[in-house]
Amino acid sequence: MTAGTSEKLASMQKEQENALAAIAAAQTEEALEAVHVQYLGRKAFFGQVGKLLGSIPPEERPSAGKAFNDIKQALEEAYNKRATEIRLQAQNQRLSAEWLDLTLPAPGPRLGSLHPVTQIQNEIEDLFTSLGFAVLDGPEVETEYHNFDALNIPPEHPARDMQDTFWLADGHLLRTHTSPVQVRGMEKLGPPLRMIAPGRVFRNEEVDASHEHTFYQVEGMMVDRNVSVANLIYFMKTLLSAIFHRDVKVRLRPGYFPFVEPGFELDIQCLICGGPGCPVCKQSGWVELLPCGLVHPNVLRMSGIDPDEWGGFAFGLGLTRLAMMRYGIDDIRLFASGDLRFLRQF
Amino acid sequence: MVPGLKTSPQELLRLITMKTAECEGLERVNGDSVIEVDNKSLTHRPDLWGHHGMAREVAAITGNALRDPVSLDLLPRSPADIAIEIEDFALCPRYSALVFENVTVADSPAWLRERLESIGLNAINNIVDVTNYVMAELAQPMHAFDSGKLHGKTIFVRSARAGEGIAALNEETYQLRLSNLVIADAQGPIAIAGVIGGLDSAIGPETKRIVLESANFQAANVRKTSVALKLRTDASMRFEKSQDPVNTVRGLARALELLSQVSPGIRLVGGLADRKAEIQAPPPIALEVDWLIRKLGRALTASQVRAILESLEFGVSETAPGHFSVTVPSWRGTKDISIKDDLLEEVGRMVGYDSITLQAPLIESVVPPANPGRAYERRVRNMAAAQGFTEVHNYSFVNEDMLAAFGIDPCAHLQVSNPIASDQTLLRRSLVPGIRKNIIDNSRRFSSFRLFEIGREIHSRQSELPEEIPHFVAAMYEREGDGSASLFELKRLAECLMPGCDVQPASARPWEHPERAALVVWRDQPAGRLFELHPALGIEGRAGILDLDLAALERLDRGEKRYQPLRRFPTSAFDLSVVARLREPAGEIEKRLAAAAGDSLVAAEFVRAYAGPPLPEDHKSVSFRMTVGASDRTLSSDEVAAIRNRVIEAMRASGFDLRV
Repeated sequence: MTAGTSEKLASMQKEQENALAAIAAAQTEEALEAVHVQYLGRKAFFGQVGKLLGSIPPEERPSAGKAFNDIKQALEEAYNKRATEIRLQAQNQRLSAEWLDLTLPAPGPRLGSLHPVTQIQNEIEDLFTSLGFAVLDGPEVETEYHNFDALNIPPEHPARDMQDTFWLADGHLLRTHTSPVQVRGMEKLGPPLRMIAPGRVFRNEEVDASHEHTFYQVEGMMVDRNVSVANLIYFMKTLLSAIFHRDVKVRLRPGYFPFVEPGFELDIQCLICGGPGCPVCKQSGWVELLPCGLVHPNVLRMSGIDPDEWGGFAFGLGLTRLAMMRYGIDDIRLFASGDLRFLRQF
Repeated sequence: MVPGLKTSPQELLRLITMKTAECEGLERVNGDSVIEVDNKSLTHRPDLWGHHGMAREVAAITGNALRDPVSLDLLPRSPADIAIEIEDFALCPRYSALVFENVTVADSPAWLRERLESIGLNAINNIVDVTNYVMAELAQPMHAFDSGKLHGKTIFVRSARAGEGIAALNEETYQLRLSNLVIADAQGPIAIAGVIGGLDSAIGPETKRIVLESANFQAANVRKTSVALKLRTDASMRFEKSQDPVNTVRGLARALELLSQVSPGIRLVGGLADRKAEIQAPPPIALEVDWLIRKLGRALTASQVRAILESLEFGVSETAPGHFSVTVPSWRGTKDISIKDDLLEEVGRMVGYDSITLQAPLIESVVPPANPGRAYERRVRNMAAAQGFTEVHNYSFVNEDMLAAFGIDPCAHLQVSNPIASDQTLLRRSLVPGIRKNIIDNSRRFSSFRLFEIGREIHSRQSELPEEIPHFVAAMYEREGDGSASLFELKRLAECLMPGCDVQPASARPWEHPERAALVVWRDQPAGRLFELHPALGIEGRAGILDLDLAALERLDRGEKRYQPLRRFPTSAFDLSVVARLREPAGEIEKRLAAAAGDSLVAAEFVRAYAGPPLPEDHKSVSFRMTVGASDRTLSSDEVAAIRNRVIEAMRASGFDLRV
């Protein structure tokens, strides 16, 4: 090895030591990058192998070139290692600074809620729809004809007393039941038909914990060629079992409603005591749930349906009452109170 | 209880409930069992307003024989001592009467008093008590006049005359209308027919001679009079159920027997006075056993059907095997039973509904018709609840006070003619007054909340039914803060329901904050309003309201969805800052920018607004990011620059400076 070559190699080693020291000393990505430029950049000592080798005799160039490349590679490795260290250090610093108290309350609105009667109503609509019943609407302000006369309750009929009526200045009235939608349904759909009509009804009554002047009902009706009392019992039992999520025992007894003949009160076996008697069922084992019956031929006829060819059953179910039973609500006034303490429970 | 009846009172109550009418309770009174029957379940059964009718049911149910307490043979056959004049037999199909003398008015014997008291009737004196007893037993209301206080010997049944009035037994005086039927003597009314007797001819201790009335009046007319006079009596309640005209003389015969027991020495004067229209027997009803079987869904034999009907005293003759001709007894024929469906009920209840086994109907399986309006309402409800709003139900009523707070004239509202409470006088034309009440009530307990209602506005129309428009009203309340967050949150909710809807500043209504009121427009149609409630409405804090017409929304929502091919060429964007007066709505600036950019515009997005130096006083700079592109190529930088220049020129031409 010539003296010149030894000298060159020595200065290479010297540069290497300086570079390693500088790499180790760099504390930030920027400082490290500057070191890289200083020692390993295109214009730096280790960026220019040609300049170095040019001054070395040709026979010594291979060994010198190898030494140069080894050093350069080692420096690049040191640089990469240091770069990773600095990134990790910075990341760890950021992470530890980002402690977050996840026990704090989450901002933003909570889920709202649907009115309990809406929830029951949705459930019942879905149930009946699945059995092929159309869901119909009728007006809340009704004609006297649809609310009474077409349901076989002519003027001066004492059955009008069963439903205290809000009369309006224009001669119409607030519907006292959802039954007028039966009539509208028959007029609209014609036989055969299956329909329900949920909605708001009105009774001109004093309000207390168990009486409201505004509440919700669902009316149901099926008209077909052969409809029997046995069919009515089948439907009622099927539906009520679905509503109450258990096998419900039902019984019919006579009940008078001018738009059905025969008319029934349908009782279900008390869901609280299961029959032996308790305060809820007044010790009878049964709870009166809904009026129903075979559609009166006069009602069919008034809606243009021939009662000799068609027959049907109809029923009315109190949605507000059902909601009270479902949720154990003991004061009917809460439903229209708008009180969020009540409504948010559902 | 009836001697000889082996059924226990509890069992009887159950049987009557299951087969006849709803019983509400059992009481022990004076050593007897009294079953209370729900009046409303007897609306169609005039015969059950007397114990004899109920006894007939019990006999049929238990298979016992029915004993008739009436013996018509007791009625005298001699000519009557008084005359009866009936003006209109439609209103009074029958009027029967007996005259008695040598009457002693005294307290009734204990058995009679106890009987009456046990069913809630007050004992008055022996004469009146007999009339009440017969009414309770046979459902035939009766009335006794003190004959010494009557004028003339003719009883008139006629319409009241103009200006006539009567002092009634309840010591009230009633002004009568022409539609009221009265019983009158030569001088004037002595009773309101079928409702109440007159005070002037009432039985008193001095009464020696009486006229005993047992009549039949038209149900509708009695009811009309009783409703008009707001006077419901034991008599009117019975007559309005359509009583049996055959029953009048039965009542007299029974009363005659009882009077001789409780008023010793009492003597008939003359015979029975009895005027009547010809009583039509109800026509027989054809009944097929097969039809009964089909309707009930239960097996029946012809002999079963016959036995049941005969136990209830129907006449049954078999015209062909399984075919009956059924005659209806007079007490069931006035209104209750006229068609075969009525007989279906008789057979059904007696054989027992609990003997019918449930049976699935054989019907077509069809998909029910859709109800898009209701489906849409449900979607809106679910969306509102998911965004944190709680559903309320408010009444359909409003009152003048509520409207006064809103500065709304009550005149346009449909009025309730017979409200029982002062807060039920008008029907709502807006859901907002109810929502305001919810806000006030809940603001006492919560500093911040969201609620909504879906309900119908009721707008009256000439002659036809009012228009009922479903509305969605959402409210956000904040006790603190400037209220803007609520309004923008409600605007976001509106955009969730109506993508691409437009909120346009609008002149405020009296209940709206004058600088915070807007019209919500969707697909060029008005859809509702967004506003803050006016501070004068008495809300501590601020409430934002979104009020949408759901019928309009549902109509506008119906557009069919079509796939648009995805954009294949990149778009370009540039920012523009428009200088405008402070109250120039950003939405207006955006519309101008969009119009100027033309077809190449993909989006114009608001970036920020700035007011302050170096802008002139009362001005702001509003920045938008304009994205432009073409569907068939990438726009060149020259084309983008041309669009930008065009927009800048157009904005300057309409008076806006741009910071470029």
